[in-house]
Order: sequence, then structure tokens, then C-alpha cells
Amino acid sequence: MAGKIVLCRCEDVTLADLAHSVSRGYRDIEEVKRYTGFGTGPCQGKECLAVVATELAKLTGQPPAAIPPFTSRPPLAPTPLRLLARDPGAHRFEDDQPSGAAWDDAPTIVETK
Amino acid sequence: MRGYRDESIAAAALASGARVLSRSLKYHRPRTFFCLEGHCSGCLVRLSGVPNLRACQAPCAPGAEVEGQNAFPSTEIDLLGAVDFLFARGMDHHTLMTGSSVLNRLANKVVRQLSGLGKLPSHAAPELPEVQRYDVDVCVIGGGPAGLEAAAQVARAGKHTVLVDDQLRPGGSLRADPRTGRGAAEASWRGALAAGVAVLARSTAIGYFPEDDGGVLAVSAPERLYRVYAKQWIWATGGYAVNLPFSDNDRPGVIAARAVGRLLVDHGILAGDKIAVVEAPSLGDDVAALARALTAAGAEVTRVPLERMTTVRGRAWASSIDTVDGRVECDVVAVAAIPAPASEGARQQGCRVVLDPPAGGFRIVVDADGRTTAPGVWACGDVTGYLGPAAAAADGARVGANVAAVA
Amino acid sequence: MQPTIDDEEDDSRADLSGEIRLPATLEGAGPLPARAEIAIVGGGVMGLSIAYHLARRGLTDVIVIERGYLAEGASGRNGGGVRQQWSTEINIRLMQESVELCRRFAVDLGVNVWFRQGGYLFLARNAKEVARLEKNIDLQNRFGVHTRMLDPAQARDIVPELDLTGIVGASYNPSDGILFPWPFLWGYARQAAAHGVRIFTQTPVGTIEPMAGGGYLVKTPRGAVAARRLINATGAWSPQLAAMIGVDVPTHPIRHEICSSEPLKPFLKPMVSELSSGLYCSQSMRGEIVGGVTVPGHGSTYGMGSTLEFLATYARRLVRLMPILGEVKILRQWAGPYDQSPDGNPILGAPADHPDFFLACGFVGHGFMMAPIVGKLYAEWLTGEPPHEIFSRYTLRRFHDGSGASAPKEDFNIG
Repeated sequence: MAGKIVLCRCEDVTLADLAHSVSRGYRDIEEVKRYTGFGTGPCQGKECLAVVATELAKLTGQPPAAIPPFTSRPPLAPTPLRLLARDPGAHRFEDDQPSGAAWDDAPTIVETK
Repeated sequence: MRGYRDESIAAAALASGARVLSRSLKYHRPRTFFCLEGHCSGCLVRLSGVPNLRACQAPCAPGAEVEGQNAFPSTEIDLLGAVDFLFARGMDHHTLMTGSSVLNRLANKVVRQLSGLGKLPSHAAPELPEVQRYDVDVCVIGGGPAGLEAAAQVARAGKHTVLVDDQLRPGGSLRADPRTGRGAAEASWRGALAAGVAVLARSTAIGYFPEDDGGVLAVSAPERLYRVYAKQWIWATGGYAVNLPFSDNDRPGVIAARAVGRLLVDHGILAGDKIAVVEAPSLGDDVAALARALTAAGAEVTRVPLERMTTVRGRAWASSIDTVDGRVECDVVAVAAIPAPASEGARQQGCRVVLDPPAGGFRIVVDADGRTTAPGVWACGDVTGYLGPAAAAADGARVGANVAAVA
Repeated sequence: MQPTIDDEEDDSRADLSGEIRLPATLEGAGPLPARAEIAIVGGGVMGLSIAYHLARRGLTDVIVIERGYLAEGASGRNGGGVRQQWSTEINIRLMQESVELCRRFAVDLGVNVWFRQGGYLFLARNAKEVARLEKNIDLQNRFGVHTRMLDPAQARDIVPELDLTGIVGASYNPSDGILFPWPFLWGYARQAAAHGVRIFTQTPVGTIEPMAGGGYLVKTPRGAVAARRLINATGAWSPQLAAMIGVDVPTHPIRHEICSSEPLKPFLKPMVSELSSGLYCSQSMRGEIVGGVTVPGHGSTYGMGSTLEFLATYARRLVRLMPILGEVKILRQWAGPYDQSPDGNPILGAPADHPDFFLACGFVGHGFMMAPIVGKLYAEWLTGEPPHEIFSRYTLRRFHDGSGASAPKEDFNIG
């Protein structure tokens, strides 16, 4: 196995990949995310955002406080579609109808006090 | 494989000697446990037909089928690991094989077949559960030392309080630190319950949606989605156990020091016989406490400052590290990095954060009382910058009292 | 009719092998040049496609001015669909050419865009929708697009995961496809820059002043540039830029949300879309299920926030259509603006009273797939070729003098 300094384990993004991105002119944290793919895997940046931002500050000669985080996007953790499918906020189209037992007309919200 | 009821599959697997669980997406490097807190992607497995679930957040259950992922023929011997040797100096997949249309068409076919992690689920969802709603005075996000204390304070003042915590059992870093431990975690949890806090365990805040219903926090539990509406919010999400940048820092056997502590303190599992701790500066007291506990449990512990660290050796599992001062034999490399504040949920609520490396990363900016820059939103504990379990608990109690006074 | 682009390899690609760096201009350093033949505002796919094609045709005195970073707007926020299934002749023909350009893009520009022609499958849930598909198919077949009508069982042969309950028919064209949007912009930008185009990111336009004798003075915090011709390629923000010189562009921004799942091993071949809800999803080269749904009723907004309403609507529709996806997990959601024009057709060319100010807007969420060919046609026109018919058909004037009333309206802006 080659000696790699891995910053984002989800997407196999290394310190060298970060430097490569910067050398190509992609230095904004959002551009770096898009070019290297860091922060786009199953952990969505939980493990890598801080270290990538810190290393980016060093590589670009900026103070850390000048580096913003990339946009925080929901869901904050991988969320199965089945948990969302009966949320009462879902828009109902004209052809929305029950199709099978799981879609019965029972109330889709339970009040909890 | 055998495990205790409610113990995580990851802990049971580690105790029974499991090693590599999957292979990484691009270079097919071996992957396994790292944080044991449900935040990294190290321990993703296929569990009873569902792909990409975290073994560390799945409790042992009779008949559960656990399978490794993304490797041929097996996770231990993966032929596609050759990708890692072929691209020893890294690979810019954006420009790979763009030299001719024939090569490029081939690259597209190969990459498509290599893509993806788990396979499609083997069955449709058995049910689509109803959504449950909480209308409360105060919602606390995070059930570690700060969150439990803050919630208890608020609830004792008579406020209707809900606390969401994403772990199998609340307690957060209390369960990973030998100076506090499981007893402290259980006591703090019981204290919050006794004060009247509704504690939702295994429940993850998945997003704050300002435009929905005047602002709603969506929370997912294994079998249900919650919509939480609150007048005041307290972010006590702590920090993520992260890695440090050194050569081959992703090799299996490199585990977060907090995970090593958690295994020892919460599960009674000694992660290794020879443990090398690679530590960031400023964590001396924390690492000393962990090292003492590991030594007392029978491990041989070597502490290595990050700047003396060179590389990790070993094939499927770390077997030694090279340092400026020579080679250190080990069977676990524990990484003690400053936890990275888990501030991304608070950011969705409009809280200002700032990158502050000595504090661990993007800490939430708070005033002396614990107010963030967003109205009605507070923060306490490690998410405002690393404090450590004891200080985080004190901070939670203090901020909780402030919130109780205004809520 | 077949696409008119020859199939030869492009020999004008600059050699960017080794450690050649981008010109510093992409790093946003330094002041703007005092003068440029053409200034393009907007570093999205449309502006960069025009810049690249201009440069290839030898017109390199061009600068691109981008407010943020490349791909910050809708170009970096779309689902990467590229299709020829449209309801108007002109869009069908344009997209045939765009598909050809997409097929060659990786080799022509030296950047992988992971274009995969897995087809597009449109699903109908009632007879009216079937009739609409059939009418489109007739037209598409006439121009050499091999779309065909499928019965539900045939649709399930292509996508075995479909629940056919309520599905009455489908249209399928195997040569439609998907790509990965971001590298498209990087490819255009690097090649344009290598030919001499100067690209300034993080450079918002403050004011635009018409100059005596023609052209415009474009002022930014990085200095001003006097451009003989100015191209507004700011997508949904086009009305704001045009208003700086008093031109009224009647488009408005509509937020569309989109999301991506965990990466899964390849199983889904085509882009699947449902007419009744605007639901669409495809599997990217990374293995993620990328898709969205049309949630109506939020009005005109530049807001790019995410909503639970979208996530829930998408989940509801997708789990109904493909129940096996119920346990599949969403990793992230985001949003981008569609540039909605009054008649669903784009707005191109220059207004009569501003002959040096060119528009490229109103693509209603489909500008990305149109950009390869529209950029090429624009560059041909601006370097002296006779203008393609899109420039006389899709004028701004049509909204003022009624000249567009009789033209066919594109009504297949699905998804």
C-alpha cells in the first residue's frame, strides 16, 4: 500500500489531492469540495471538513478564520426514504393515491405531548 | 458471532477479532472501524439485506446477518486493491484516460462497474412509519455531558424539554473517558430523565428547515421520523472523533483514541496489547489519563507526538509505526486529535461558526451566556470549542440555567 | 435529419498534460484588463461554452466575469440530464447536436464528464399523458431520434425495480443520457484559458454603462473593462444584470430542489421520470441516485434553501414508484434556480436598442444540456457566420410585439 495521507476516507481524498486542486486554481472551499469530492461521501464531511479547511488555509496562506465551511446540507445523517415517505409535509399530486397497505389513509402524524 | 444484547455489532465484532469490513471507493483501500460513534464511514456493512449501515450503531440482535462490502473476492483479499498500487502517487480521475475516445469509453465502463458502495437493498421497506410530532419549550440536540446537564437544568425549571441523541445510549464522551466513564454517563442520563426530560436515544437531528412550518427540526430514529418544534434550541452536539494527517493514516488498526477509550470504559474491551497513541499537541492531560487506564488494563502504551510520526506499517492491519525516533511495534494506533465541533446543524439555523484549529475546527460562536448569533439558539460544550467531558458538563449546566431563565 | 457535426477527433485541444497550471486569472488575482472585444458575465456552463467556442474560432480577446466560483449557480446544481425527447422541432435538433458534443467532450476537452447514454424513460399514468408522449415521439422520430412507446411491462424490462401500479405507458429513447455537470465547466474553462480567454472568479459586476460609440463599461471591485460586446450569461440572474442598462428581461427564478443518495453498485440504466409529478431520478457514475420532483407553489425566489417538504415529496413519490428504494438513504439535498421564461422557450440574441448586448437565458432548467450547442452557435454567429435560426426565433422582442405567438411552445420542461 502506498503512503497516502488521507484527509477524507469516504472519498479517498489525500493531502496531495488537495494541493493538486489548489494548484489548478480551485481554492474556494466549495470548489475544492467539487474538484476533490471531499465531504461528499457517507459522512458528509464530519470527519474531513475541519482538517481540509485547516490544510487549505495553510496551502493558500490565509488565516483559518478566513476559510468558511462549505454549505451545510440536510440530511445531516444518511436518512432512509421510508422514514420520509409519509411525512405530512409532502405535496400531494392529483394522482396521489394509496397503493398497497403501507399507504393506507391512517393519519400520518401522531401528536406527542 | 456472539455479542451482548444491546452491545453494538462493531464492539462484538472487534471483540471476536473481525478486521477489514469493506473497501474504499476510489483506491479500494481496506476500511474498518475508526470512530465507533456513528459518524465516520469506516464500519459500513450490509446488515440483514440493507447496505451501508454503521456497525457501531446497530445493536446485536439474534439472527442479524452482517456482510462486508465493496470487495472481490473478500474484504481481506481484494483484487481491486491493485488500484491503490497502480496509482501510488494519486490519481486525478477528472483527466484519467481522456487521451483517446476508445480509451475513454473503456474508462467510463470500468469506472461505472467499480462505482458505488453497497448493493441495492434486498427487499422493500416492510413499512412506512407515521411521523411523530413534538411541541416543546426547549429542544436540546446532543446527549453528551453538556446536553444532558443543560436539558436537566431547563427541565427542572419546569420547561417542557426534549433531548435528541444519536448514540445507542446517551452519555457521549463521558463513556469514553476513564476519568468519567459509564457510571457518570448513566448518572447524568438518569438525572435528565428524573428532571422530566424526554430523551430520544438513537435519534439523529437530520436538518433544521427554516421554511417548513415556521422552522422545524427533523429527527430520524431507526423506526420513525420526528418533527420537533421548540421555542428555544440548545446545540450540544460535541465534537467528532477525527483523524490526524500522517502517512497511511487510514490503515485499519488506526482508531480514534476516543474509540479506544470507549471500548475500554464502556465495553470492557482492550483494543490492543500494544497501543501507540499519536497525539495532537494540547491534549496531553486527556492522553495521559487514557494511557494510564490502558496500562492498568494490561496494554503496553507508547505516546508519539504528531510531529514525530512518520508512517504506519502493516498490510490488512497496523503492525508498527515509524517515527523520527525509530520503529514502534503495535497492534493498534490510537489517534488523539482535537474533536471537530459538530456545528453543521447549528449552521442550518443561522448560527455563525469560525474555523479555529486549536478548538478543533468550525466552532459555534457564542457570547458569555451561551447565545449563538441566531435568536433563540444556544450552544454549549465541545461544539463551541473543545473543553473535555468535565468542563463540557459544567458548561452545559451553566448555559442550561441561562436558557431556563428566558425560555 | 442527422446531427451536422462531423465525427473527427478535435485537434485543437491544448496540451495540458504534466504540471501546467491554470493562468492566474482563474485564481481571481489582479485587475481586469482595460479592454476586451467580448465580456461574458456569468461563469456557468453557458458563458464558458460560449467563451470556449469563441476561443476555438480564434476570437480570444474575451473575458469571463463570474460573481462567485465556477459552477456556483444552476450549472453546478442540476441533475446532469441530457435528452432529445422534446416537443418542438428546434429543441430536438439542437439536443441531437448537444448529445454529439457530450459524447466527444472528454476527449475533446481532456476532462471526464462521465457521459453515459442509458436512455430516458418517461412514465405516463393516464391516457392524456400517453397521447402527449405519442405526439412527441412522432416528431422526434421524424428527425432521427429513435424514441419509442413502451407498454408498462416493457418499461419494467428496462427498470425491473418499477412498481407498475397506475403506469399505463412510457416513452424511451436509448441515446439520451446523463453526465457529471461540474467537470463540464472545468473543461471549458481550462481550454478557454489555454487559448487566451481570461476568467475572473469572485468578481461581482457593480454597474454597466453604455459607452459613446458602442460597447459597455463593466465595473467591478477588480476594476472596469470596456467591452465592445457584452454577453449576459447569468442564467436566472439575467433580469438583474439586464436591468443595469434598462433592458427588461421577463424571466423569473423558480427554485428546484434535488437530492442524492448513498452510492450503490450500478443497477439503474436510464433516467426515469414521471410526467404527473415531475419526479426524476438517475444513477450517477458514482453510484448515487440523483433526483428531484416538482414541488409547486413557492413562487419566484432566488432562495436556495432546502425544505423538508421537498424531501418528503420526493420520498413519497419515489418509494411508490420503486418500492425497493425504501431502505435507500439520502445523503444530501440542495437547490438551484430554474430561469423560467413566459413561454417556456429561451431568450437569445440582442435587443433592437442594444445591438451589442446579447442574452442567453430563459432555458427553464435545461440550459445545461443546451449549452454545448448554444455556445457553439453563438460563437459562430459572433465570429461572422450567419446567425442560426434560434437567434431570430427566440428574441426578446417576441414578448413585446407578439411575434412569438404563433411559434411552437416547448411544453416538455419536465423535471
